[in-house]
Amino acid sequence: MTILLEAKNLSKHYRLSHGETLRAVSNVSLVVHRGEALALVGESGCGKSTLGRTLIGLGAPSSGDVFFEGERISGLSDRALRRWRPRMQMVFQDSSSTFNPRRTIGDTLAEPMRIHGRTGIAERIGTLLEQVGLSSSVLSRYPHEFSGGQRQRLNIARALMLGPDLLVADEPTSALDVSVQAQIVNLLRELRNSLGVACVFISHDLAVVRQMADRIAVMYLGRIVEEGDVLAVLEAPAHPYTRALLDAVPRPDRPLPPPLKGEVPSPIKPPQGCAFHTRCPLAQPRCSQERPELDRVAEGRRVACHYPLP
Amino acid sequence: MGADALLKLHHLHLELPNGTPLLEDVSLTVRRGDALGVVGESGSGKSLTAMSVMGLLPSLKASGSIRFEGRELLGMKDREWRRLRGVGMAMIFQDPMTAFLPVRSIGAQIDEQIRLHEPVSRREARARTVALLGRMGVPDPEAAAKRYPHQLSGGLRQRAMIAMALSCDPALLIADEPTTALDVTVQAQILTLLCEIRASGAGVMLITHDMGVVAQTCTHVAVVYSELVVEQGPVAAVMARPLHPYTQALLEAIPPLDGPRPDALPTIPGRPPAPDARPEGCVFAPRCRYVRPDCAVRPALREPEEGRRVACVLYDA
Repeated sequence: MTILLEAKNLSKHYRLSHGETLRAVSNVSLVVHRGEALALVGESGCGKSTLGRTLIGLGAPSSGDVFFEGERISGLSDRALRRWRPRMQMVFQDSSSTFNPRRTIGDTLAEPMRIHGRTGIAERIGTLLEQVGLSSSVLSRYPHEFSGGQRQRLNIARALMLGPDLLVADEPTSALDVSVQAQIVNLLRELRNSLGVACVFISHDLAVVRQMADRIAVMYLGRIVEEGDVLAVLEAPAHPYTRALLDAVPRPDRPLPPPLKGEVPSPIKPPQGCAFHTRCPLAQPRCSQERPELDRVAEGRRVACHYPLP
Repeated sequence: MGADALLKLHHLHLELPNGTPLLEDVSLTVRRGDALGVVGESGSGKSLTAMSVMGLLPSLKASGSIRFEGRELLGMKDREWRRLRGVGMAMIFQDPMTAFLPVRSIGAQIDEQIRLHEPVSRREARARTVALLGRMGVPDPEAAAKRYPHQLSGGLRQRAMIAMALSCDPALLIADEPTTALDVTVQAQILTLLCEIRASGAGVMLITHDMGVVAQTCTHVAVVYSELVVEQGPVAAVMARPLHPYTQALLEAIPPLDGPRPDALPTIPGRPPAPDARPEGCVFAPRCRYVRPDCAVRPALREPEEGRRVACVLYDA
């Protein structure tokens, strides 16, 4: 598999007032292969959305680099980045706020191609509407006339207008009902297969992630704590946090194990040592002093834990 | 039934002033020590049901009956409502940020509720507030009571709201999507808390869209679709063997967390009808895979098995 996008030691810090620093993403290295789906999962504030945006140049990293097809795209000027924009596009969670309510769907879908001076717009729109399962009668209508599921289909169609190689989808199904969610999950899978577009899929829902992704990266307080094949990781998590996340999903078939104590600490003052040690049921004295590195434990599997689960 | 029923909705209808029916023929029962999960998708009427029980929809026309501890609630006066809310029944909402007043500390707001219903001093009220917050698992409850809603995390705010709801020891707790805005690990904590409240003898009515949440916290479940109850029964039985085609489809649409990964998830074609465009017959018929001619008549709830009810012609003998 060829590498499409690579991040090296990527960090994104925000300076706050009072001289404090919010470390949203710290020292993340990852790769996205051509055509693969990588899921970024974690709880609110773990930095998954910030990482997703920083990967495709929506906001410059504080340090570290991003390479697209081997060329460095971090640190480029907005103007220089423009050449890369059609190659990577974003799908946002809330489809009701990403459309201009005063413009017709046809107008909105055409905009990316107009901006990049493409021709054959009408044809392209026709092809994509068919691919996302909508008819061309939608073109003269306005965003509010659609249901959440239909709007999410349009949102995806718009992101695909320029034929990107990489799609970053931030919680694309979280605002949807479960029956509609299943439709969008299926659609994204089909599109990935037919178009070969790679996908960075940001989600907090492990069941949806398992259905959609090839690989998974679990984040906690701005760092990746576990990474690997999605089925392998969810079958046997090696990091206690991944285990806890998986156990906390309410399921019809078994009772909830005792929940994790406490809540995610503030990313302004992350704990010393392993950031998870304050909530970890298996923490040892070493965990509060020494931060574990994200080490390779098996082929394609990395874990940041001094005492990984078997 | 009868004596042990804490809350009993009987053929409840709810209408907009223009005559558009919202809830149709909803019959539900919550007993002491039971938790009833009301589950459905957006717009299915699950929140309307909860709000009508609390008397929060005075401008809608209601008929049928809502009995709480044997007493009819429909047509009750505002003064009587005020005595009942908080003491007899209390409600917690999805978003505690908007349920609390932002300009007063959460302790002051809980104190106020206690003093409104009981003749206790400020000091006694605060002592009870602090004890309650502690029982809800809020660390350092004394300091937490002095904080404003925005100074607490989402999980702590939700705990504070549950503390406020329980401050006058209500017999019935209604929770409308109490964990939807929370992360899973915090959700698990709140669900454990709800289970403890139920185990202590209160009745719980939990409104949610998440079948997993119902399975974890409830003893009984009612599935609503297009403002109608289509199936109800004990949680374990319904989860293991759903009877109504809608319940079946809803459970199948959840991606599995173990076992083989399907190429495509089963979906439900189409979407629910608007309240003013409901079909004459079974409301789910246009999307149902088993649809047949006799679905053209609205099916009543039948009881194919002891304790289980389903509105579907498939279960006619």
